[in-house]
This record gives sequence, structure tokens and C-alpha cells, in this order.
Amino acid sequence: MATTTATITLASTDIMDNNMSISNTATLTTAGTDTGITKTTGISRRTFATNSNTILLDFGLTSGIAENVTADKSAKVYIRNVNDRGDGTKYVNILIVDKEIGRLYGGDWMFIPYSGGSGKDIEFTASDTTETTLEYAIFYE
Amino acid sequence: MATTTATLTLTSADLLGDALSLSQTMSLYQHGTTATGLDEVTLSRHNIPTGTNFDLIPESAALSEDASYVYIINKATNAAHYIIISINSEPIGRLYAGDWLFMPWDCDLTAAANDSSLECEAVGGEQIVEYALFHNGETLATASDS
Repeated sequence: MATTTATITLASTDIMDNNMSISNTATLTTAGTDTGITKTTGISRRTFATNSNTILLDFGLTSGIAENVTADKSAKVYIRNVNDRGDGTKYVNILIVDKEIGRLYGGDWMFIPYSGGSGKDIEFTASDTTETTLEYAIFYE
Repeated sequence: MATTTATLTLTSADLLGDALSLSQTMSLYQHGTTATGLDEVTLSRHNIPTGTNFDLIPESAALSEDASYVYIINKATNAAHYIIISINSEPIGRLYAGDWLFMPWDCDLTAAANDSSLECEAVGGEQIVEYALFHNGETLATASDS
């Protein structure tokens, strides 16, 4: 087994009257165990120039980056919009199948669990056709 | 405006042949601004019983159409317990004991099959879930008895 940890730190000195600091570390384990996950797609980077709905992680595609992810197990997905923020109006909508999750503006990242399953692709739709670079990885069992 | 940052650190000495070390920090900004931070936050902690898919963070017109970010952690300690996080009845994934997520959230009331609420269901036993919602521009509802 491998030991992989994901730590988040949320910090602000002025969003509340007192400093806010939230920090937690998760050890990425297989479903229902304390055993560390042993697989990852590695970190990939792709550049797109389309505002059409596009599959980023194609679950079950035999040659795709999500090819070996097993449905309803323990998997985590990291995605980052590598672009500069610009004027703050350009973003990439991240979807699970056709359900919109949220917008990654330039410089934003997300780290979520991923159930997968037949047809349960992670997709994106950019706000316009500006060239957009996404960085992403799956950690799975 | 407030200044709030979110930092992710991913590390492993033995998942790959070489060490994995990734660190990214982002600032939580309002839509359509170059560097104006989100001003509002909701912090919450809930006991989630099994058997029901609950709205953890309900959609609201007061939260719609601006940048929002969500942090959710499952405080369970039993490795076999997990929370299914869904949006619009579509499972995103399972948060096992100690797992957390951080993601943008688009509370889009115009979405097809309209329900962008973030949902959660506990499996294996009652579990404690904490979340933080960073948002902007929420107008509180007028009290019904005012």
C-alpha cells in the first residue's frame, strides 16, 4: 500500500471578526478500509479552445484516463484551471454527467470524491472559446 | 472585501516511483472581478442519520449566480462509514471517514431539472459532517412574522 495525503488549509484574517483557519488532512484509502490507495492516473494537462460541452474524464473508456476507476469505490479527482484569472469573467463549468457542479475560474482548483459508473463522466464547458488549460488527476483503488 | 485562501497539498512518498508533492493556493474571489474577495461565509456542523438523502446546502435565490465554494468534511472515524455527496440527484462521490472535498458550487436556479442543492446521505451509521460555504451577496429573507 501507499500513503497519500491531501491537506486543505482555508485561511482568512478578515472574513469574520476572528481569524478563520481550517486545516484537515485526509489519507486516501480504499473503500471501507485503512489501506492506502495504490493507483493514480498521474497528473495530466490538456489545452482546449472550445465552449462546447466536453468530456474531461471518460469513465470506462478503454483508453481514457478514467479507464480503471471502479464505480462506487474510493476515488478522488483533482482539477485545476491553469489559466490566469483575467477580468474574472472567464471560467470553466465542471459537470458530473449533465449536472453542473460549479465554475473554476483561472487559478482555481477542486478536489472531490468520484463515484464513477457507466456514463458518469466528468465534463466541462468553458465560458467562451478562449484557450483554456486544465490540469487533472485521479487517485483510485 | 475579505481575503480568503484555500491551499491544497497532495503528498506521497510511495504512490509513484518518485515522490508526489503538489501544492496549490487559490484566493476566493467574486465573479467578474480581478481580485475582490467573497465577503460571506456559512459554517455548519450536522449529525446525518442513515436512510435519507438530505439537502445539506439547499439552493437559494439568495445564493445564485455568483462564485461560491464549498468545503465538506466527514468527521466519522469508522473507516467503513461514508457520506454520498450528490447534486441534482447525481452522485458526485463518497466521502469516507476523514475525507474532505473542496469545490466550486454554482447555485443555478435556471438549471435543467432544476435543483442544484448539495445533498448528502450517510451509509453505515450516523455521521458528523461539517461544511463551510463561501459566497457573496446573500440577502436574508424577511421574517414571516414581521
